Amino acid sequence: MDNITPMQNAPEEPVLEMDDIQGLAIPGFLKPHMTLLGLKYADRQVLINFKELLKTFADEVSTARITLDNRRDFRKLRAQEHKRFPEDNPSVTLIAIGFTAAGISKLTPGAMSISSEAFQQGLAARSALLGDPTEPEAEGNPVNWVVGGLGKELDALIVVAGDKRDDVDKKAEELAERFRRAGVEIAYTENGDVRPDCRGREHFGFDDGVSQPGIRGRASEDSEDYVEDRYIDPQQTPEAWLFALPGQDLVWTGEFVLGYPTTSPDPLIPGPISQTAPEWTRNGSFLVFRRLRQDVSLFWQTMKERAEAISKLPGFQNMTYDTLAARLVGRWASGAPVNRVPEKDDPKLGNDRRANNNFRFDSDSFPFDLKSGYKDKYPMAEADPAGTTCPWAAHIRKLNLRDSASDMGGRDSTYSRRIFRTGIPFGKPLEDPFADQRDDPEQGNRGLLFLCIQSSIESQFEFLTTRWMGDPTRPKTPGGHDILIGQNPAPGENRERRCVIFGSGLQQAQLSFQQEWVIPTGGGYFFLPPVNALRQVLSA
Amino acid sequence: MGLLERFDTPAHMPDFIGLPGLLDQWHRAVSNWFDSMVKAQESKLKSGEVVQFFNPTKFDPGGAVIEQAITWNAFPKELLRRYGRQQALREADTLYPLSRYAARYQQNPVFERTPFRPHNEYCEWHVTRDPETNKIKKVAFSSEPPEYWKALHGGTYKLDDDQEYTFTGSPERVLELYRKHVSPNVQPDDLISTEDMQDADGNYLVRKGEYNPYNKWNTSQGIMHLCSPPNTLVAEIGLGAEATILRKNSRGQLIVEPDALICCAAYGGPDRNSDPTIGAAVNALARYGAFVTLGNPVGLYIDHIDLAGWSVPDKGEVSDCVKFTRGSSGMVERLEVEVPASRDFTVSDIKIGGIPIMYGGQIAECITVKLVGVAHVNELQNKIKETNKPKECEARCCIDANHALVLERPVRKNLPLPLGKQTAFLNQGAYGLPDGEPDAELKELDGSLSAKTSAMAEPPGEESSEKTTKPRIYSRIP
Repeated sequence: MDNITPMQNAPEEPVLEMDDIQGLAIPGFLKPHMTLLGLKYADRQVLINFKELLKTFADEVSTARITLDNRRDFRKLRAQEHKRFPEDNPSVTLIAIGFTAAGISKLTPGAMSISSEAFQQGLAARSALLGDPTEPEAEGNPVNWVVGGLGKELDALIVVAGDKRDDVDKKAEELAERFRRAGVEIAYTENGDVRPDCRGREHFGFDDGVSQPGIRGRASEDSEDYVEDRYIDPQQTPEAWLFALPGQDLVWTGEFVLGYPTTSPDPLIPGPISQTAPEWTRNGSFLVFRRLRQDVSLFWQTMKERAEAISKLPGFQNMTYDTLAARLVGRWASGAPVNRVPEKDDPKLGNDRRANNNFRFDSDSFPFDLKSGYKDKYPMAEADPAGTTCPWAAHIRKLNLRDSASDMGGRDSTYSRRIFRTGIPFGKPLEDPFADQRDDPEQGNRGLLFLCIQSSIESQFEFLTTRWMGDPTRPKTPGGHDILIGQNPAPGENRERRCVIFGSGLQQAQLSFQQEWVIPTGGGYFFLPPVNALRQVLSA
Repeated sequence: MGLLERFDTPAHMPDFIGLPGLLDQWHRAVSNWFDSMVKAQESKLKSGEVVQFFNPTKFDPGGAVIEQAITWNAFPKELLRRYGRQQALREADTLYPLSRYAARYQQNPVFERTPFRPHNEYCEWHVTRDPETNKIKKVAFSSEPPEYWKALHGGTYKLDDDQEYTFTGSPERVLELYRKHVSPNVQPDDLISTEDMQDADGNYLVRKGEYNPYNKWNTSQGIMHLCSPPNTLVAEIGLGAEATILRKNSRGQLIVEPDALICCAAYGGPDRNSDPTIGAAVNALARYGAFVTLGNPVGLYIDHIDLAGWSVPDKGEVSDCVKFTRGSSGMVERLEVEVPASRDFTVSDIKIGGIPIMYGGQIAECITVKLVGVAHVNELQNKIKETNKPKECEARCCIDANHALVLERPVRKNLPLPLGKQTAFLNQGAYGLPDGEPDAELKELDGSLSAKTSAMAEPPGEESSEKTTKPRIYSRIP
């Protein structure tokens, strides 16, 4: 197709310190079961005991290398069994630990110089900035949070994740008992599990985590030992260098781990190193935990009511509740992108990770040649610059602009906002999504233990939440708020979220919603220290 | 027959009322700018191809209409890229001499003593501090274009399109507005230039006796309107027009990535929130086969300010500390953050996300600026898509691969790169260079490059010392 040699000028990716980085950050646990343990340690003797424990506990923390090895085994098995979730997967349990600013400063005063205003203040103090309700009686106000709110702040969070619930329980209980004996308070315990009825989906029923950024970095000096497998035929330069799977942006490691190159204006040239102050924070990451309660029946009842009303408008005659929801998410429940299959869901496409993330918004899309010889034969997405098919307010379009510019400029402004999500649902699924709360055995207590990894809470999680999800005109218009999980804290607007969707003849329908079906009910900002810092700094 | 009868004043501002002929003169000027831009695009297209940018007072494409507000953040991305946030906040609250902006301003000492703000996102601000406590008393933001103020003042000006325009404005009205919005101490002579500001190319930025946009009440002592060189209305129209031309890389593939596109077409500053965004949005509509223009009234507007997470030390409303003092709803031209006199604290005591306001830039981070693009999709959509072929690049951006913070301004493709820099997006074949040429270019990095590149203006200026063959009127790059 051209004369360019495939690997000419391919970017040299950094070699990651895989034995120092926690596996929750790179490559992420992504296990079907998880238990969160929230720790508090107060008096001096407990602190001494806790530090002593940390010395040995550090050896139990799953490193990036251990986690990646496990992931690679899983991928091999998946390839062998030709199944997204192979059945013969051996049970492995992984562990991570993160600290709040208060918690880590108790261990080493130098942590007060970690240069993140958001981290130092903590999630509860930044809650209003994120758009959470400020009325004290509101469930989403930090005073009412289950964890991390006023008086319920944690010092540390332990994440135990694994393939089998029993094994995770066993490990979590063993750790809890060990910490309790040292006088540490286990102030919070919560389990997260993939849905047994439809694994991979969150409680509204949508496939979650389809579009994760790919890590641009290597696990060893081997030139092709990439943390993220590369699937695109290298002959197909330069696209082979931009993506792991088709449509999966490769983002420089420094956006997720401190001490590595970040995004530069040119995606194939490494940018500045993400700052490491104090020096021992190199190989550390920031972890945001948000406990998000999901009101499933409110969501679907509203979709049903609203779709019925819209369907009476010219150009919207075929609007159904699942179509409306798909427009607001940007994907159908299976994960199939609306831009590729605008009319109805295609579960086969949704389940095909070689294709379900391959689309652009502003331009016509095209298939990639993969190394495996795979051919993407699903319908290609057509250019949709004004959001007539996938609205600009759609959740996936708000958060990942792909080929579009944003209010912050070109592609680098999207890359430098990407977060790596590693959360999991909590609570049992609601069998009938339209059921009233009185018919709900869980009384609405279900949702997402949202966890995400980044190198800057302010520029990534907070930016996405406040400036894109919570703003009606950013990143692009004609748009609106992120109706799925955004909030509108603007004074005088009664938290009403608004958006625009288009009909078949480019008619516009203005939608507004006051119902809030995703409610923040807890969380915290944590620092995931490198393993060596656990051994040498935090336990010293 | 046009879509519009005439162009209105930005945000329908009423300042021209009662000044005979001025509304018509404004309309004719704006219309002329559109015509110039349409003509410039025609020259880039081949016979049979369609200019997709249009003057809405001369042409109505019909079809379905999509209005797209193109929004961007007010805080200069270039400062963020160069300095990181903390230093960028400090830099943004300082004035630079114009000599720092462009090489052509470096020879005449008048530019050394003429200040400008490093705000290049079509929104500028001024911070007023208490001289004793250094606490912030007021931060005023403006998105009013300088052309409007020249017209309002009156006089004959050679504007950015190199044409002369005569406006029968009113210096008295300008004075009245300055006194109302900036300071009651403004004197008539303060607003008039006492000397010629002539650049090295012989062009006048301001002539002696003319209204001086760089007067002290619009720079060091306050703000009335935009005056940073790239923040002009003509530049906005030019950018919109130029972005309707489709571009291709060396493989003949369409260039769609916003930064690569602006580097290729050279229609603005690549290290900005605004220009790549405006250009990419317009180009996407052009690729879609639409006719594109700018919404009337053509202007640059503050869309809104995001007050989430703002807190005040008393029990009052934070929104009472924000006033929209010029423009209209959704088309705000002037915004002021100031604590009402009845409340006993200062702007410095307001917190955003728990952090006290120490710089005007913290507020700018919460401000969204916009212009409105209008796309008409008619029966010619498919024909345009078929007929209008993408053009080769006119320029390329360069980057220091060992210190990749910014995209230096586009360099015309037949000119050498600055020392130590390489072509950005080179690996993506984005510049229409013949195959093999990138190699030659990379070799150049080891060798000798033109010495004149070392004279490149430092941030936040934009211009290298290289002359472009392109008329500067159509670009935000002088």
